[in-house]
Amino acid sequence: MSAAQGPGELVRERRIIVCVGTGGVGKTTLAASFALAGARLGRRTAVLTIDPARRLADALGIAELGNQPTDLPRERLAALGVPPEGRLAALMLDMKRTFDELVARFTDSEEARERILGNRIYQHVSDALAGSAEYSAMEKVFELSERRDFDLIVVDTPPSQHALDFLEAPRRLVEFLDSRLVQVLLHPAFAAGRFGVRIFQRGSERVLRLVERVSGVAFLEDISEFLLAFEGMSEGFRERAREVQARLVGPDAAFVLAASPATQSTRHALSMLERLTAAGVPLAGVVVNRMHTWPGRDSTPDRVPTADLASEAQRALAAAFASSEGPAFPADAAARAALAAADGYAALVRSDAESTGELTARVARMGGFVRRVPELSGDVHDLEGLARVADLVLEAAPSGRENGENR
Amino acid sequence: MPLPSLLDRRLVVVTGKGGTGKTTVAAALAIAAASAGRRVLVAEVGLDEHIPALLAPGTSPVGYEGRDLRRNLRVMRIDPYEALAEYLGLQIGLRGLVRRVFGSRSFRQLMDAAPGWRELITLGKIWHLEQMQQSKGKPRFDLIVVDAPATGHGLTFLDVPRVVGSAVRTGPLSRHAGWVEDMVRDPKRTALLPVSLAEELPVRETAELARRLRDQVGVAVDRVVVNAVTTAPFPPGLEDLDARLARLPADLVVPGAPSPGTLAACAAHLRARHELNARWMRVLADTTKLGLVVLPRIARGVHGPDDLAPLAEALVAPPQGPPA
Repeated sequence: MSAAQGPGELVRERRIIVCVGTGGVGKTTLAASFALAGARLGRRTAVLTIDPARRLADALGIAELGNQPTDLPRERLAALGVPPEGRLAALMLDMKRTFDELVARFTDSEEARERILGNRIYQHVSDALAGSAEYSAMEKVFELSERRDFDLIVVDTPPSQHALDFLEAPRRLVEFLDSRLVQVLLHPAFAAGRFGVRIFQRGSERVLRLVERVSGVAFLEDISEFLLAFEGMSEGFRERAREVQARLVGPDAAFVLAASPATQSTRHALSMLERLTAAGVPLAGVVVNRMHTWPGRDSTPDRVPTADLASEAQRALAAAFASSEGPAFPADAAARAALAAADGYAALVRSDAESTGELTARVARMGGFVRRVPELSGDVHDLEGLARVADLVLEAAPSGRENGENR
Repeated sequence: MPLPSLLDRRLVVVTGKGGTGKTTVAAALAIAAASAGRRVLVAEVGLDEHIPALLAPGTSPVGYEGRDLRRNLRVMRIDPYEALAEYLGLQIGLRGLVRRVFGSRSFRQLMDAAPGWRELITLGKIWHLEQMQQSKGKPRFDLIVVDAPATGHGLTFLDVPRVVGSAVRTGPLSRHAGWVEDMVRDPKRTALLPVSLAEELPVRETAELARRLRDQVGVAVDRVVVNAVTTAPFPPGLEDLDARLARLPADLVVPGAPSPGTLAACAAHLRARHELNARWMRVLADTTKLGLVVLPRIARGVHGPDDLAPLAEALVAPPQGPPA
C-alpha cells in the first residue's frame, strides 16, 4: 500500500468506506459526515445505516428512511457547499426486506420462494439470526455498489461485540450451509455411510430431539424444511457472499475505526483492532471522537497546576479580579473556582490522552491515520452539525464556529 | 411515598445505550449493596468480561463458575451454551452427551442461528440463582445485578419469556418460561435500571426504552441513572465566571497558571457542558416522569474500586423527584 492516506483521500478516492466501532462512539455521525464530505467533493454518495435507533434519521433530519436511498433536497445540499454534481442519499437498512428480496432473486420458482418466506425458521432467521443485520448490510452494500449510480458508499455497521461480525457474516452463512450438520440433515442417506459422521449425526439428532421434547417445538422438522428450501438457492448465495467479501477487503474499500476516550470504549476498540488485524483487514485509520483538547496555545495539560494550586497564582488572579470593572463579587472565591475549573478540565484532557494513547499509537504504527475530534458530536442532530464534524475529521478550514462545544 | 431502595430488590437489570457506562453502574451498584451487607452476585451476559477488571484490576477471568472478588460480592459471566448444557443436563441427565454435542462446530452453527434461546436460558439461569438458598428460607444471594445487553437487545432480553410463554403452551419449557416471566414482572423482586447520559440521543432512546418496558414487557422501572454529569461548575454567585475571566487583560500573567484566555475557555467548557446536561436531564425527567439518580462525571476516568466508591454512594441516594 502507498503512504498513509488521510480521511480526505479516502473520501475523494475510495468507493466504499466502512465505519466500525462499538455503540455510543458516534459511529453513525462519523459515517454521515464522511458521506457529506464526499458529496461536497462532487461525488454521488450514499450512506447506509443499520441502527434501529434512527440516529442517522435524527442527524440528517429525515423523518422516514426506507430500504432504498432517499436523496437529500438539492437546496439543503447547496447550502452546505455541495456542488451540483454531488449527491447525498441516505438509507436505513430494513433487514427483513433485504433478506426477502434476496430470496426472491435466488429462487427459481414462485413455489420455492413461498416455501422459504413462509417457513417458521426463515421468519425468525431473517430478522433474528445472529449476524443477519451484518449479512443484510453487506448485501445492501453490494447492491448499491452494483448500481453504479453512486461513486461513494459509506457504511455504518451494526453495533456488535465482535468487530468482524460484519465482515464474517457472509462467510459464516456459507460455512453454515456447507456444514456437515446441514449436509447430514439434507442428505441423511449419503452422509450415513461416512465414518464419524454417523456418530455425530446420532448424537446431535438425539440432543435436538430432546430439545424438541423439552420445548414442544418441532425444531428438526422446521430446520430440515428450511434448509431444503434454501438448498436450491445456496449456490447463488454463496457466490454472492464471496463477492461481497472480496469487494470489502479490496483496494476500493477502506475500514475506519471509531472510538471514544471512555476507558471501557478504548478497551473495546483495542480488541476490535486486534481482531481486524488478525483477520488481515487493513485499517485505514481511527477517529477518536469526543476528545477533550486543551484550549490554550500557551500551555500543555501536563504543565497546568494540579490539586495543590499555587497560592501565588490564586493571589495574582484574585487581585486581577478585584481591580477589574463591574459590580463587586468575591474575588478570592472566583480565583479559586477559575483555577479549579482549569484543573478539572486538564484532568479530563490528560485522562483522554492516557486512555487513547495505546490505541492511537498502535494504529499509527500500522500506518493508519489518527484523527482526534473534540467533544461535540454528542449533540449533532442537523446537517450543519455534520458539516462541522466533517471539517474536523478532514481537517479542512472550519465552516462555522471554531469550537462546536459553544452553542 | 418514598421509592423502595434498589437494594431491597432481588434482581436489578442494568441496561443502557452503548457508551453510557452501564457496566460501571452495575459494578458500582454491586459495591453499594455489598457494603450495605447484602450478599451480591453480579452477572455479565456479554461475550467478554469487563466487571472483574473494574472491581479487582488485574484479576483473572471469573467464567461461568464465578468467583468472590470482594467480601459478599461474587462475579460471573453467564455463557448461554454453558447454561443450556446445565439446563439440559438437569432436565434429562445426559451431561456427557450434551457436552460432546455442544463441542461440535456444526451444532454451534445451528444453535447460533436459532433465535431467542440465549435470552431465555440466560434468564432461566438467573432465575435459578435467585432461587438458590443458603439455608432454609435464606437466599444464597440477596441481590443479583445483571449487566444486560445494550438498549435494543435489552428489551428483547426481558421480553423473551413472554414470547416463549405465548408460543409454547405445554411441556416443561412452557412451565419454566412462566416462572421466569413471573420473576421479571414482579415489581417487588425485579427492577430494570436504565442508564443514560444527559445528552440528546441517549435521552431520547432511554425515554423510549422506559416506555416500552413498562407498557410492553411489564417490568418495573422506577428511576433512571444519569451518568457522567457535569454538576454545577462554579460556586453560587459566580455563574458568569467564564465571562469575567474573558474580560481580564489578555497580557495578565498568573504565575504557574495558564493565561486568562485559557482559563476562560476551560470555565466556558465546563459551563456549556453543565448547561447541556441540565437541559437534557429536564427533558429526561419530563418524558419519563421518573426520578433521576445523578452520577457525577469522574474526570480521571473510572479504572478501579476507588473510582467506583463515589458512584456507589450516589447510586443508593434517593433519586431527584420527577418534576411537578
